[in-house]
Amino acid sequence: MSDPLSGIPSGLRYFFGREAQVRRTIEDTALAVFAGWSYEEITTPTIDYYSLFEQGMGSEASNSFRFMDGDGKLLALRPDVTSGVARAAVTLLNRRERPLRLWYVAPVFRQHAKSQAEFRRELTQIGCELFGVSGGPAELEILLIAGEIFDRLGLRDDFVITLNDVEVFNGVVENLKLDSTQRAAMRELVDSRNATDLERLVSQFASVEESRRFADLTQLSGKGDVLDAARQVIMNERSRAALDRLERVWEIITSLNLTDRFEIDLGDVSTLDYYTALNFKIYLKGAGVRVGSGGRYDHLTAKLGKAEPAIGFVIDLDALTDVMLARDGQEPEAQAEATMLRVTSNDSLTTFQEAIAARWRGERVLISPQEVKR
Amino acid sequence: MSQLTIAIAKGRLQFDALELLKRIGINLTDATETSRRLSVEDQTGEYRFLFAKPGDVAVYVEHGVADCGIVGRDVLLETNADVLQPLDLTIGRCRMVVAALAAAPGNGHGMLKVATKYPGIATRHFGSRGQPVEIIQLSGSVELAPVLGLADCIVDLVETGRTLRENGLAVVEEIFSSTARLISNRASYQLKAESMMKLLDAVRCAVREGVKADD
Repeated sequence: MSDPLSGIPSGLRYFFGREAQVRRTIEDTALAVFAGWSYEEITTPTIDYYSLFEQGMGSEASNSFRFMDGDGKLLALRPDVTSGVARAAVTLLNRRERPLRLWYVAPVFRQHAKSQAEFRRELTQIGCELFGVSGGPAELEILLIAGEIFDRLGLRDDFVITLNDVEVFNGVVENLKLDSTQRAAMRELVDSRNATDLERLVSQFASVEESRRFADLTQLSGKGDVLDAARQVIMNERSRAALDRLERVWEIITSLNLTDRFEIDLGDVSTLDYYTALNFKIYLKGAGVRVGSGGRYDHLTAKLGKAEPAIGFVIDLDALTDVMLARDGQEPEAQAEATMLRVTSNDSLTTFQEAIAARWRGERVLISPQEVKR
Repeated sequence: MSQLTIAIAKGRLQFDALELLKRIGINLTDATETSRRLSVEDQTGEYRFLFAKPGDVAVYVEHGVADCGIVGRDVLLETNADVLQPLDLTIGRCRMVVAALAAAPGNGHGMLKVATKYPGIATRHFGSRGQPVEIIQLSGSVELAPVLGLADCIVDLVETGRTLRENGLAVVEEIFSSTARLISNRASYQLKAESMMKLLDAVRCAVREGVKADD
């Protein structure tokens, strides 16, 4: 039998050497970008009330490590950071001037691996949130910040941000008068781009021709022309308003000559219970799963006590590190030459006086252990 | 355009899948088809092919080491793989069924013993109707289990139903019908959008023509 203390629970790990250096570089890069856009750092508690995360994440919160507080209240190991930041914004920082701009880097935990490819149970999120600004300008700001981080990491040509507005889907569901079971089924089929089964499902409510055109729509991924194609098929007002919102964001992206970093993806409905309008995902060459996601979540602030516009994103530091390491190799960065200092048995005082002096000159010192007397 | 890596399920589906790809002009040389190499490129170099066990196809695609895959719906439902499945290829048609000895379809007790290679599908199927079950997971020749009294019924994939009949089993109910699906990694779908759309469009046309030809 193996020693139980030598093992480590599944989905958890150590970081050291080159990998630790790369993580630090990514963090430093991101925080410089956040600072450059006038964001302020916030650290939220690692342990918090489970009910907070339930409000913030919906059913996904049940995948958190939970335990009881002394007074019987249910606590959870933070499964996301946004919930805590949003609560701080509408409570403690309620009187602060808006817009309120906050960023964080923090580990989050989940009890079970999300999927085979997303096996980590502790992962570090780098993210930011913008409170008090509604509409296009906030959306553009957030998208540009996310893009700049990847640019500055030297990944300019290797990432794409997919844009959607959850209200496109919600409008269709409302228009077809689907109940919650049918809605869940439809969401799953749209999310997996399963056009065949989607067509079958929708044909119970619409003509064969309409169903086929709608199903084909979920497979489109592309630029502004996707919005035109969608307008040919989707007629309800709620969805059209969402398509117009996307169009306005897309127009600015086009004017800024940034269309090569963005795609419209109307099939991205995986985070429906969380976001209220724009939602986006960040994909990076070399990573099989998304490395970031974000969107507008105006409902959450209302649930936490004060309705106000909120938008933000997170980047998965671990997934991003994997890609950077695969690119740059595992060799640790060379360090500056060290001043070698040896501790001898009769005079450690001099050694450390020299060490202190060298440190204040900005040198790296390496203290060698006592010489072995033969 | 970037090269696409396509994982193909070995066995039942492999021949039909390669036939379908041939119809849209993706050719593997005969030598590569018969060789034992597990990874080959097509003649144009636009595509790389991996041949893997059906369950592993979903794994490769979910992790993104393969951009696309061809695999049965049964495998996707069993593994719950987080992948996109944009196309029904309509080949490899079969049914996932509950089958039992023709003479004694149920045991009349509260607990049903189910032998299967598909524990996930079986658990969800009986769970959805509140039937408590004991799942006995086997890796082959599942039909033996009811015959030998190990299980009350089996959940298994059936193509012609011949094996069932020859072992005195009959289909009690169909859980779903399955066909081969073209699946895609979520990131590849966005990052290699151009190549992906080209492949999807070509295969979609071939499938629609194939369906017409069958009618």
